Amino acid sequence: MADQPVSPTQDKYYFLVRRLHSLTGLVPVGIFLCVHLATNATVMAPGEPGAMFQESIERIHALGPLLVPVEIVGIFIPLLFHTLLGFQIIFTSRSNAQQYRYGGNVRYMLQRTSGMIAFVFILYHLWQMHWFGAGLGGGAFELHDEAGVATGAATTAAAIQSAWWVVWAYRLGIVATVFHLANGIWTSLITWGITIRPNTQRVSGYACTALGVVLCAVGLGALRGFATFDVTSADPEAVMSSGTRPAERG
Amino acid sequence: MAKQHVVVIGGGLAGLAVTMRLAEAGIHVYLVSMVPVKRSHSVCAQGGINSVNELTRQQGDNEWLHLDDTVYGGDFLQHQPPVKEMCDWGPRVIHLLDRLGVPFNRTPEGFLDQRRFGGTMFKRTAFAGATTGQQLIYALDEQVRRWEADGLVEKFEYWEFLGPIVDESGHCRGAVVQDMFSMKIRSLAGDALVLATGGCGLIYGRSTMSMICTGGAAGRAFKSGVHYANGEFIQVHPTAIPGTDKLRLMSESARGEGGRVWVPAKPQDTRDPLSIPSDERYYFLEERYPKYGNLVPRDIATREIFDVCVNQGLSVERGALCVYLDVTELSPETHKKLEGILEIYEKFQGVDPRQVPMKIFPAVHYSMGGLWVDYERDGNTGGLVEGSVRNHHSNVPGIFVIGEADYQYHGGNRLGANSLLSCIFTGLFVAPTLENWLKSLPKGGAEDQPVSLFDGAVAVHQSDMDVLIRNQGDENPYKLHEELGELMTRCVTVVRINKELQDCVDKIGEFQERYGRISIADKGEWTNQNFSFTRALGDMLTMARVIAKGALQRDECRGAHFKPEFLIPAPESDEPAELRRQAQTWCDAFKVKNEKWLKSTIAKYTPSGPELSYADVDTSLIPPRPRTYGLKGAEIIEETWRNMTAGGTGDRGGDAVVAPASAS
Amino acid sequence: MSRTLEVKVLRQADPHSGSHWETFDVAYEAGMNVTTVMQRIAANPVTADHRDTTPVAYDACCLEEVCGACTMVINDRVRQACSALVDTLLADGAGVIEVRPMTKFPVIRDLVVDRSPMFQSLKRVKAWVRVDGYYDLGSGPRVTRQEQEEAYPLSRCMSCGCCVEACPQFNDHSAFIGPATISQAVLFNSHPTGKVDRDDRLAVLSGVGGIVDCGNSQNCVKVCPKDIPLTDSIAKAGRDTTTYKIRQWFGR
Repeated sequence: MADQPVSPTQDKYYFLVRRLHSLTGLVPVGIFLCVHLATNATVMAPGEPGAMFQESIERIHALGPLLVPVEIVGIFIPLLFHTLLGFQIIFTSRSNAQQYRYGGNVRYMLQRTSGMIAFVFILYHLWQMHWFGAGLGGGAFELHDEAGVATGAATTAAAIQSAWWVVWAYRLGIVATVFHLANGIWTSLITWGITIRPNTQRVSGYACTALGVVLCAVGLGALRGFATFDVTSADPEAVMSSGTRPAERG
Repeated sequence: MAKQHVVVIGGGLAGLAVTMRLAEAGIHVYLVSMVPVKRSHSVCAQGGINSVNELTRQQGDNEWLHLDDTVYGGDFLQHQPPVKEMCDWGPRVIHLLDRLGVPFNRTPEGFLDQRRFGGTMFKRTAFAGATTGQQLIYALDEQVRRWEADGLVEKFEYWEFLGPIVDESGHCRGAVVQDMFSMKIRSLAGDALVLATGGCGLIYGRSTMSMICTGGAAGRAFKSGVHYANGEFIQVHPTAIPGTDKLRLMSESARGEGGRVWVPAKPQDTRDPLSIPSDERYYFLEERYPKYGNLVPRDIATREIFDVCVNQGLSVERGALCVYLDVTELSPETHKKLEGILEIYEKFQGVDPRQVPMKIFPAVHYSMGGLWVDYERDGNTGGLVEGSVRNHHSNVPGIFVIGEADYQYHGGNRLGANSLLSCIFTGLFVAPTLENWLKSLPKGGAEDQPVSLFDGAVAVHQSDMDVLIRNQGDENPYKLHEELGELMTRCVTVVRINKELQDCVDKIGEFQERYGRISIADKGEWTNQNFSFTRALGDMLTMARVIAKGALQRDECRGAHFKPEFLIPAPESDEPAELRRQAQTWCDAFKVKNEKWLKSTIAKYTPSGPELSYADVDTSLIPPRPRTYGLKGAEIIEETWRNMTAGGTGDRGGDAVVAPASAS
Repeated sequence: MSRTLEVKVLRQADPHSGSHWETFDVAYEAGMNVTTVMQRIAANPVTADHRDTTPVAYDACCLEEVCGACTMVINDRVRQACSALVDTLLADGAGVIEVRPMTKFPVIRDLVVDRSPMFQSLKRVKAWVRVDGYYDLGSGPRVTRQEQEEAYPLSRCMSCGCCVEACPQFNDHSAFIGPATISQAVLFNSHPTGKVDRDDRLAVLSGVGGIVDCGNSQNCVKVCPKDIPLTDSIAKAGRDTTTYKIRQWFGR
């Protein structure tokens, strides 16, 4: 409808760029989210509190010097691309869910809203936990303390418990992010022409709902694990004995 | 030399068909329509389009029988050569539509499916669900859009035709048109003007026709000197549903697919219709016309409904012409084929017709009459000379008329599913005529005519507009229109009585006087629909008078024109010899009647009202015969007539008189 | 019956003027629809507070929901005025009937809008079957009943504009071509002869404003008065443009 002139190059790459948007949301970012939530959920594992979580993170950190490039290329760049284009998409939409209150339309509105919430949440989360945020007063997560004692779960839990609202921010953030992914999978199945008929779309809707519910349970469960993690009583020795120091792995 | 142009007014099936064929020939077309052409009234056609097809052909059908059904259905009032040409073209038209992607219903094997329609024994009607007209016009609309993209067609949508531009020599040089948004009036220079402006149902207030079917364009052409023929022949469709704004058609295809018309045998039976046992139902069409059953032609079905409701008092709703149209016994698969109309019934009546018999009423539906046009008969085939500049040419040189707006194809009564055929056929067929017409014109086309000719024409319409818009008076156009509709519906529909018709003609005269005192609420000059409607009302009054006067003067019964005062009394004696004598008297009277009235009514405009004259009808192919449709008790008439006319055989009378010329 | 209806109409004198509401009292008639309401207002153009006004400008043609002309927003939902029955509107709760023009097209006057962009889009996707010509060349391609049953619902699109009116992606800030046009492209791509222009249509659908601008709100299919499976068409177009682009990148 808008009459802005379109350059041939724009026209040529538009499709590719938008399909990449869909793809980046699914593959690196979506898969990362699943892995991330699942990893975090290990905090609830039986046995020594935080031990399995520590072990899981250690395994990731085993990448050593490759970790940062992998993070940047595999997660941050796709995520940034997905986010920037997402904002462009939000800019071109005019939600009317107030007027046409159909399920699909409400989900359409929520997809955009949840994307924006997820964006703010991820920024906050990165600042708070990731070493990126260290220089800005964040970066709370530390795998080991200076003595080499495993502190993954403890530092995370401490950050989560640092103020009463943090856990609420995480709840909102997790639900929004998971919804964005689950609904995104449902729409991408249409976008890529895999689910065509209303019936198959309904079935895929059930599947995506189930996925979303499971991911929410996992994510919120992990959050609960951290929120109830006894930061003071954590026994560094016990954590250490089940974990492995990176230095020892060679 | 200036580029030649054809101006086509009206973007329904006929207008689109001629436009695409002209564009194909490289001729530039201005296509003018009051609505985006895709929304033209042709979308309302439901049931299908007739043509002989491979299946019916093997059941004994051929183009000749299609011609016979059509002229028999039309009570022999059509010139037969154009009808023959149309029927011969039927298969070609269907082929073309099929190629254009019309989603015609298919047989399991993938061939076109056909259904039976009124007035024939063959399944000749190809269809696309119950929205055939919509599907056909979309196919043509798409083709025209293609030519528009190629620059050969220039559309003027939301433009209204105000009148032809006729020069001093009497030649049409284009049209005056008005932008319905800006109200700007301009001229379109054209070397030929094609009117494809449809019917005039709004004269009857509410009808099955769309809001644009005012007859305004025909009225304006008529006032400019184009003759109007057979105006009194207005089809009243037997099956429609009433509404406060229009009457909605319930297609004949409902009966074609097996729907049955009945009334409870007991007057005003209040029981739930489904609980009425079949022996207490009166399937009056099936009982009276065992051969054609529910598929008698529309004029007959409508009259029978009138008879059952008024004379026998069996109407389902007291004081109305209301009978049941019952499709509840049909299979879900059949219901699917009728989905388009069943949806309409359900949406507007709030009742599911698959479960409950529909309550239906007759409604004004189609104008068999129209602007007068000529044709050139081909002596060898009995059809038309293709490309002759006489075909579809009105009495004003340069003005051609096609589609419902012309009078040629349907005589006294149109058969269902013949209108889509006549619209598309005339559109396609007139194209070579127009090509030849353009070639025949001397150098210097319409564009080279003096500017003053065009400016003068525009100025006349501009001043007419200024006068009307400022007119002060106490008459409200919408109320006057309502009165006109009531008057016409009461006097000039199913049953016509001279006293009432005279009264009607007088009243229309009064209305015309009152029209002089009309006042328009909206004096603005932007998208003034109030004004457009009021101007069209003036044309409706003009045409109403043509219709009513034609009906008044035609003292006979023919097709849709039914005057009980002039009904030849049916033989009814129980005594065989006396019965035969009565039948002989009937046939003699029939012959005399035909000698006097088997004529086209031709109306000519004069400021004091239409002047009527009568012209012979070309019945050279199939001699007229009594039109009984196997009515029970009328066998004796057919038999007597057969004996009277040498060489006639079989109950189809004229079949054997002339050998099928189309077989070659 | 002397019941009256309260009818609110959003009026606008011309494309450049602002809009304002006008209220009318219209006598109730059994079975009346919004078109009839407009006709009654035209016959007596006086507002509820007894001011003389002009008849409301509105589009209307077939009045049986096959032409698409009388599309407008009635009680906050886009639909055809002819099939908007007053009884149903009242039964749906609102005591008032509120009518305004479609919001996605420029207003010409009152309820009349300019929907020509819809027809322009049809040109862009070559929504036609490119036949050789109109001379008789025999019958068309054989089409199975299943194919006809797929095509017919798509072919019922009357370009009324309901789908784009309800589409959150079709607006001033987006070049989205809209569900109706996508569905027409899919229709013609499925036709045995229409297929020849398949790649041209897919090129448009894979460009700016094409299929990727759909946001899957699926309002289109909910508001479509003809129950056209628009979302099926959209998903098919999604699939076909993907394979088309892959073919393109690999040099066909």
